[in-house]
Amino acid sequence: MIELTVNGIKHRVDVVPEMPLLWVLRDELGITSPKYGCGIAQCGACTVQINGAAVRSCQARIGDLAGKSVVTIDGLDNREQHPVLQAWIEHQVPQCGYCQTGQIMQAVSLLELIPKPTDEQINEVMSGNLCRCGTYPRIRAAIHAAAAKMAEK
Amino acid sequence: MKAALIAIALAAASIAALTGIGVAKDDASKDALPAGSVSRADGLEAWKRIEAVVTHPRCANCHVDAKAIPMWTPAGETKTRVHGMNIHGGESRIGAETIACSTCHITTTLPNDPAPAPLHAGIDWQLAPVEFIWFGKSGAEICAQLKDPKRNGGRDAVALLEHLRHDASLSGFIPRAWAPGAGRTTPPGSFEDHVKDMALWGAAGQPCPN
Repeated sequence: MIELTVNGIKHRVDVVPEMPLLWVLRDELGITSPKYGCGIAQCGACTVQINGAAVRSCQARIGDLAGKSVVTIDGLDNREQHPVLQAWIEHQVPQCGYCQTGQIMQAVSLLELIPKPTDEQINEVMSGNLCRCGTYPRIRAAIHAAAAKMAEK
Repeated sequence: MKAALIAIALAAASIAALTGIGVAKDDASKDALPAGSVSRADGLEAWKRIEAVVTHPRCANCHVDAKAIPMWTPAGETKTRVHGMNIHGGESRIGAETIACSTCHITTTLPNDPAPAPLHAGIDWQLAPVEFIWFGKSGAEICAQLKDPKRNGGRDAVALLEHLRHDASLSGFIPRAWAPGAGRTTPPGSFEDHVKDMALWGAAGQPCPN
């Protein structure tokens, strides 16, 4: 049994330690917001936070996560009012939406690290999150808008 | 906030790096050969084998300059290119300023997965210190760097052996060069061969080619 905390709730899972976190979240715990895109950390659709840092959950192994805290988009503080989600809605960022939970979780981590990022910093941090619909201009605009909202608080 | 997050990331990496140093020293003392017990010619032969290892893309691609842009040799290809995804290691060399290397190259002692899944290690993924530039350097230049305590982390020949054993004790980058996961090339020889060659080279007085 491996114990970990997901979105503030403790879970015990009986799986092999090599199982990727993404599989545990989706198949064992029923948390389907992190998406399976490539399985090799090339797309970013599965991005979650582990102990506050963005990580590709298809790569993180459950055996390494005992006692750690995992946050998916479902567990963001004050989710309905979260400035990143609000900015995403205001800018109508998603098209098909498949990559967007990963985009948002990476953007949240970016803004925690760099509260007012430049375009260049956004490019550096977000380049590992792919969007086949090409919503990149709206993602960038929403990150700037979220940064402004967070600065107001 | 940013400074605090970067400090936490660096501290975590440092704590991991310090673990197991005592064990590494014990092992390295067994590996070391008496100084002067190996001829210069044999030392230079050992260096040729070391050079083949340290210039292999598996080893050289993260020993880059202050621009901190890692290199990438995709599995099945021979041409080395800039790491995809606009990755910069930053001054921290672990990507702490923007996106940590460990976002994708997770920290785990589990074996590497087949290519093209990203490599991982028991130490937080990082670029080598900026003084240790190997990528694009000749064998003679790397040899001079590797024996220079100002550019090798303050290590003498025995401490270089300690470094190898310490890294291995953490399931680090060096032994994993020979266990990169199916579909990837490896440097010549084995990790143990490399340790032996470093011992031979050290005992010969760390001779370098002209």
